[in-house]
Amino acid sequence: MTFEVRIKKWHAVASWTWNAGDDVCGICRMPFDGCPPDGKYPGDDSPVVWGICTHAFHLQCINRWLQSQTEQKCPFCRRQWEFKQAVVGGEDESEDGAGT
Amino acid sequence: MSTAARKRLIRDFKRLQQDPPEGVNASPQAENIMTWNAIIFGPDETIWDGGVFKLSMEFSEDYPNKAPVVKFRTQLFHPNIYADGAICLDILQNQWSPIYDVSAILTSIQSLLSDPNPNSPANSEAARLYNEDRKEYNRRVKAMVEASWADDGEDEDAEEEEEA
Repeated sequence: MTFEVRIKKWHAVASWTWNAGDDVCGICRMPFDGCPPDGKYPGDDSPVVWGICTHAFHLQCINRWLQSQTEQKCPFCRRQWEFKQAVVGGEDESEDGAGT
Repeated sequence: MSTAARKRLIRDFKRLQQDPPEGVNASPQAENIMTWNAIIFGPDETIWDGGVFKLSMEFSEDYPNKAPVVKFRTQLFHPNIYADGAICLDILQNQWSPIYDVSAILTSIQSLLSDPNPNSPANSEAARLYNEDRKEYNRRVKAMVEASWADDGEDEDAEEEEEA
C-alpha cells in the first residue's frame, strides 16, 4: 500500500561551521565559529583563513601577527606564511571547506 | 577596558584552572590583569626537586603578538638565569609565537631548570660548573633549592599570619 504525499510548504534551516580542524584559533583562543577579540559578529565578519602550510587562524588574528613581524612565518610551524587560495566551486569537502 | 590582550589573558587564566599543568601555577594580580605572579616547582627526580620558585610576568597590550617579560623573584643558580632573575630562553625572545600562553611559558621555563643550555650563559659561573664540575654545580643548586624554602618564610602573607 502506498501513499502519495504532496508538500504544500516547507521551511529550510541551515547551520554552518568553519571546518578548521581545531575548534579555537591558536592566537586568540576564541572559537573559530565565534569572533576574534575585535570582531563584532561571527561568520562573514570574522573570517577564518588558511596558510599553504594548512594551519588556520582568524583573519584579524594572523594579520595582526604578521604586521608585528618582519619575517612572515606561521605561528604553528614557523614556515613562510602564504595565504591559501579559496577553492571555488565548493564541491570538494576537503580541509578548506568554509561552511555555507 | 577590554582589549585583545586582556581578553586573551582571561582565556589563559581559564585554561590554567580547567587544565592545570603539572608543577606550575599562576594568577593575575587582583587589581591588574597585565601583571601576574607565578610559581614553578622544581621538576621531580631532578636536583631541582622540592624547590619553590616565584616569578613575575609583565604583559603588554601587544600580547600575544609580543612575549611577556618574565623574571624569577627567587634567587636561582642556573646557567640561563641572570642575577636579577631575568631568563635567557629562546621562546621569550626571538622564538616567540602568539600560540604560546601562560601555561606553555611556565612549562617551558620549568623544563629549562633541569635542562639548561650552557652555550648561552647568563650566569657564567653556573655555566662553567655545569660543564666542568657537575658535583659542585649540583651542590650549589641544592643549596638554592633549600634557600627557596626560607625565602617562602619571608613572604609578607606568612609574616602577617605569624603576627596574628
